[in-house]
Amino acid sequence: MKQQIVTQQNQKTPVGAVLLVGGGVGSIQASLDLANSGFKVYMVEESPAIGGRMAQLDKTFPTNDCAMCILSPKLVECGRHPNIELLTYSELLDIQGEPGNMSAKILKHARYVNESLCTGCGTCQEKCPQKTLSEFEQGMGTRKAIYVPYLQAIPNIPVIDKDMCIYFQKGKCRACEKLCPAKAIDFSQTDQKLDIQVGSIILAPGYQLTNPEVRGEYGYGRYQNVLTSLEFERILSASGPFQGHICRPSDHAEPKRIAWIQCVGSRDPSINKGYCSSVCCMYATKEAIIAREHDPEVRPTIFYMDIRAHGKGFDQYYERARDDYGVRFIRCQISKIIERPKSKNLLIAYVDEGGKIVEEEFELVVLSLGMSASEKSRNLAQTLGIKLTPYSFCQTASLSPMETSRPGVYVCGTFQSPKDIPETVSQASGAAAFASEIISSARGELVTIKELPPEQSIAGEEPRIGVFICHCGINIGGIVDVPSVKEYAKTLPHIVYVEENLYTCSQDNQAKIREVIQEKQLNRVVVASCSPRTHEPLFQETIRDAGLNKYLFEMANIRDQCSWVHMDKKKEATEKAKNLVRMAIAKASLTEPLHEQELKINKRALVVGGGAAGMTAALGLADQGFEVVLVEKEKQLGGNLRDLYYTIHGNNVQEFMHSLIEKVHNHPLIQIILNGVIVDAGGFKGNFKTGIMSGPGMAYRKIEHGVTIIATGGEEYKPKEYFYGHDERIMTQHELEGRIVHKEIDPKDLQEIVMIQCVGSRIPERPYCSRICCSSAIKNALKIKEINPNAHIYIIYRDIRTYGFLEDYYTKARKAGVIFIRYDLDNKPETSLEKESLRVSVFDPSLRETIVINSDLLILSSGIIPRDNEELATLMKLQRTQENFFLEAHMKLRPVDFATEGIFLCGLAHSPKPLDESLSQAKAAVSRACTILAHDTIMVSGIVAQVEEKKCAACLTCVRVCPYKVPFINEQGVAQIDVALCQGCGSCAAECPGKAIQLQHFKDEQIITKSSALFKENVA
Amino acid sequence: MRLSYPPNIKIIQVPCTGKVDVLYLLKSFQRGADGVYVAGCMEGDCHYLTGNLRARKRVEFTKKILDEIGIGGERLEMYNMSAAQGPRFVEIAKEMTERIKKLGPNPIKRVASAALEYSATPEKKECVV
Amino acid sequence: MIIGKGKPIKNILAMIENCSKIIVAGCRGCVTVCSAGGEKEVGILSAALSLARETDGKPIEIKEVTLERQCDPEYLETIRSFVDEYEAVVSIACGAGVQFMAEKFRKIPMYPGIDTNFIGVTETQGVWTERCQACGDCKLHITGGICPISRCAKSLLNGPCGGSSKGKCEVNPEVDCGWQLIYDRLKELGKLDQLEIIIPINDWSTGRDGGPRKIIREDLTL
Repeated sequence: MKQQIVTQQNQKTPVGAVLLVGGGVGSIQASLDLANSGFKVYMVEESPAIGGRMAQLDKTFPTNDCAMCILSPKLVECGRHPNIELLTYSELLDIQGEPGNMSAKILKHARYVNESLCTGCGTCQEKCPQKTLSEFEQGMGTRKAIYVPYLQAIPNIPVIDKDMCIYFQKGKCRACEKLCPAKAIDFSQTDQKLDIQVGSIILAPGYQLTNPEVRGEYGYGRYQNVLTSLEFERILSASGPFQGHICRPSDHAEPKRIAWIQCVGSRDPSINKGYCSSVCCMYATKEAIIAREHDPEVRPTIFYMDIRAHGKGFDQYYERARDDYGVRFIRCQISKIIERPKSKNLLIAYVDEGGKIVEEEFELVVLSLGMSASEKSRNLAQTLGIKLTPYSFCQTASLSPMETSRPGVYVCGTFQSPKDIPETVSQASGAAAFASEIISSARGELVTIKELPPEQSIAGEEPRIGVFICHCGINIGGIVDVPSVKEYAKTLPHIVYVEENLYTCSQDNQAKIREVIQEKQLNRVVVASCSPRTHEPLFQETIRDAGLNKYLFEMANIRDQCSWVHMDKKKEATEKAKNLVRMAIAKASLTEPLHEQELKINKRALVVGGGAAGMTAALGLADQGFEVVLVEKEKQLGGNLRDLYYTIHGNNVQEFMHSLIEKVHNHPLIQIILNGVIVDAGGFKGNFKTGIMSGPGMAYRKIEHGVTIIATGGEEYKPKEYFYGHDERIMTQHELEGRIVHKEIDPKDLQEIVMIQCVGSRIPERPYCSRICCSSAIKNALKIKEINPNAHIYIIYRDIRTYGFLEDYYTKARKAGVIFIRYDLDNKPETSLEKESLRVSVFDPSLRETIVINSDLLILSSGIIPRDNEELATLMKLQRTQENFFLEAHMKLRPVDFATEGIFLCGLAHSPKPLDESLSQAKAAVSRACTILAHDTIMVSGIVAQVEEKKCAACLTCVRVCPYKVPFINEQGVAQIDVALCQGCGSCAAECPGKAIQLQHFKDEQIITKSSALFKENVA
Repeated sequence: MRLSYPPNIKIIQVPCTGKVDVLYLLKSFQRGADGVYVAGCMEGDCHYLTGNLRARKRVEFTKKILDEIGIGGERLEMYNMSAAQGPRFVEIAKEMTERIKKLGPNPIKRVASAALEYSATPEKKECVV
Repeated sequence: MIIGKGKPIKNILAMIENCSKIIVAGCRGCVTVCSAGGEKEVGILSAALSLARETDGKPIEIKEVTLERQCDPEYLETIRSFVDEYEAVVSIACGAGVQFMAEKFRKIPMYPGIDTNFIGVTETQGVWTERCQACGDCKLHITGGICPISRCAKSLLNGPCGGSSKGKCEVNPEVDCGWQLIYDRLKELGKLDQLEIIIPINDWSTGRDGGPRKIIREDLTL
């Protein structure tokens, strides 16, 4: 509807292209979503390569996934996507026009390297005589004057740093030009200005680390062994300046006593950084764990104010760090660090549990720096006329955190507020949904479809196998003797080429693989590296680009299943790697080209759950032009919104809800089913069939749809603790809010109010943090204070988790006189309930004595539990966490996808979160769903069961065994299996008594040969 | 999670344990495996609905054959675990390795100690630890 | 179809104790359908036999074949070219197949790898039950489509014996009394009056008691 307004206003047709500013993980996610939903994308990144901050990280919390390993496939996908144009080393100067049709002026800096000629071979970097400090390595490593920022950089095309280049500075050298085999060096290049027509813009410029010098007392810059958290991240990284070997700058000794100081440049109003940076507690915990993993003698200590482990799985991660890795967490703000002149060790004084001041020596101190908006993004905002917050982050509507003050311009990631990777990724998808909504009528107009070379026939050829063995930095190479695996591979049958790579997945190596396929006429390729889970599609695409059928690719998992899990057994790991490579080669020699079938996509979506997230998702999809069926199990829409009245920012929730319900009701593309229960579910991505019973008569109907969004929500935990239910003065935050609004409670009558945090959360039965309870308590405390400033409010808490800008409300509450008293699990507050008196006693660790409060009200900040979702999970085969929230496909990079393709999730069904985040996530689910719905057809896997009719006895075993009821006995009297419907599980093949069925790519011969190869040195 | 487990474990990827044929299990022993176990999804959580249940039945059937022919059914096992259970994977790998060590090498004594595992997760990929 | 079940491997091992080179022969007919003797079972049995023999330190060479049907001479011819190179054949076809093989390949011993049990049906995947004893004198039109010969433990023709209790057979309380089934079925059909028909004493000469049987269709023979 917005789009109609646009076209009416300026009479211009929408442009089916989006401009992304920034090249980090947020921008990458948004780009891929948009490019895969029928839009052209221009990604403008100021540095020479995309990847952003995430590329610099070693591991990611809470899964300890290698950041580069999970990011790299996405980088490569961006790099090779026909509808994503990377404009690196470029900046956005200005935009003009109206939403839907804008013109962007872009400055493309001279690279001095011809992008179309460069092959990324790296010769220039090797030969360049001029070294300088590497920005990517935080100045701890070096690069040349001509350089790519990091190994897996996309695009893998170097730039010449004019300020460092000897030729530019002194007029002589040109070594790179002379030695470049591709003649790609071009000193005559000049900066270029480009005009690009786009429909909308997403800002994702990221953040910069807060300058450590804001806290001079920590001695950064003066003390050699005080590092920033990002510097330490590089030290931990296998591809970092010390190859993952932990050493300290002053003497390169291995530090054992390492301290982290939290909140450096965060939660500090004195330097206008009053906000919490949201990620530092977790990354410090992660760095401490990884440091311990690198060197078990490391004794990490983290000095903190509150541990903010408010994300999914974070509290459990924190507890593991403390209990299993021996990370010491000390709650104390550190006022200064003193360096010992000789040893360069660092002295930190802190107050211990008993209130005593203790001085302790550390060999290395890491400052957990917060996030700030960069000067460049501030300037950009100013040029574009976009409003900023007082902290210079991008200002957005509080219930629509992706919409900037300028229509048609959206924002995501840390420029909006400090946040972690999954939230950035989910917000990026959300921003993509906004950006595409206003140009949805131009979907598909500017995209090009990738032209693939014809597949070469390998019929009748003997296998010619090429093997590429990856060091994965030191992930594999540090444990497995890769050169000896390589030599070994050369001795195996059918092998015509073997090569080892530092990173086989890098873009230049993809080019190399393609070259080798041509040159050596390979007809099979084996890569020995990380895991097919993350990298198989990449390599399959690479060999397909070289004209080989993608099923002629085989992978040996020598990292996840070898080097990573046998770190202490290098010799055995090398032997095992050889075995795994031999097995993969044995299988590869038997692989066959398979052909994929095209299947129509049903463009209707099913949204389950009619709360805030579900309604937003339904509306989002409908505004993109897709039909939606919205099922709600209650008799009306609204979900939890019905019991919410105001947000901490002051939004009127009821008003918001009514307008949302009205929009949903009035949208011609949305069909609402109330009192609906899902009773059966079948099908697959693009073609689901779901049975719903609804209405008073429980009428049954079958919905056919192409995608599903699960937004079944969560609910407030009804406490069993603290006499809840025994006295009307004891209630939850939710109930308090309702009673204040309905004037059942008048704050003016209240004198003493106690709120207890973490009721039912962060306990062994429910070990997770419910994320919203701290801000709910503060919200209600401020509400009461606003009406009755004299009321005494005590918030008894474990850690206050007002992450991001919510911290301002915490500050505000303290200023308003709300009293915060800390407790821990061993010292829970106690309540006593006698006739008139409601008494709470709690041990105050700062006063070191027990406080007793006679309270008028006792408010329990109880957590969020998922709604009953077991049946749905079983019907749709959806995975859940131990706490029964739904489990996403990948904690970091696929936060709203289910492992089952075509099904997405959002809102409280995923994890506890505040309203704005639920709404963002709903938009994210819309964007992800559009990547399917935007297409007319879908390719189905070639891994399907095939019947050899001659052998079929028509015994019906397959018909009976198939879980999807796909096989049938056809008119010819033999079993027939529709390849479009076959899910490729192989159950029929395993059971067929006549061996008439084989699962492609997993044929008996292939599996048996592969497993036999483990035992037989000589395979053929 | 990178929890370490004994390197004698080698994993053969199948799309679903429902693909594991009695023949694969027997052939593995025939080639010299000292032990084989099938790692399927949790019961009730099979991405392909019943594959892991069928796999269990086949494993039980094969154990009987192994008992009958003197290899010993205890060299073969079926386990259920989810992709999120790295520590359990390691526990099983260790448990199975210990069990096989006690039983000694495969009586056919062709090749020295090696255990083989058939595994599947819903994503048609190998179990990730 | 004919339903069979694999013999204990130990028994088969005993049969082939002195062989070092055998054929395991399956059949794509009934025994494939009842998962007793198809190509899959050939593979499993062969693997189990060779494993067992290797364990004993007496490896054996096994050739795996699965014939279209072992009860037709032309199909048997498909293995004639190599059959004599082996010391024995373990056939996992029904008894007819094993015998026919033995008859056609006279130089080498023929061993049964399965027991042939009955003529029956598939109840559900993996469950088979008996229906017919091939008596050669079908009476199903009188008994509501339920065979008293095969479904009654005593093959009584004119009603149940005194051992029928609560619809179950005294021989095996898990088995339905055949006559109870016949009664129920006829009642359903509204044809209880058919119970009045006296079925004469069975002429077992058309069945097994008459010795091996033979059928000739004159119109099909030359």
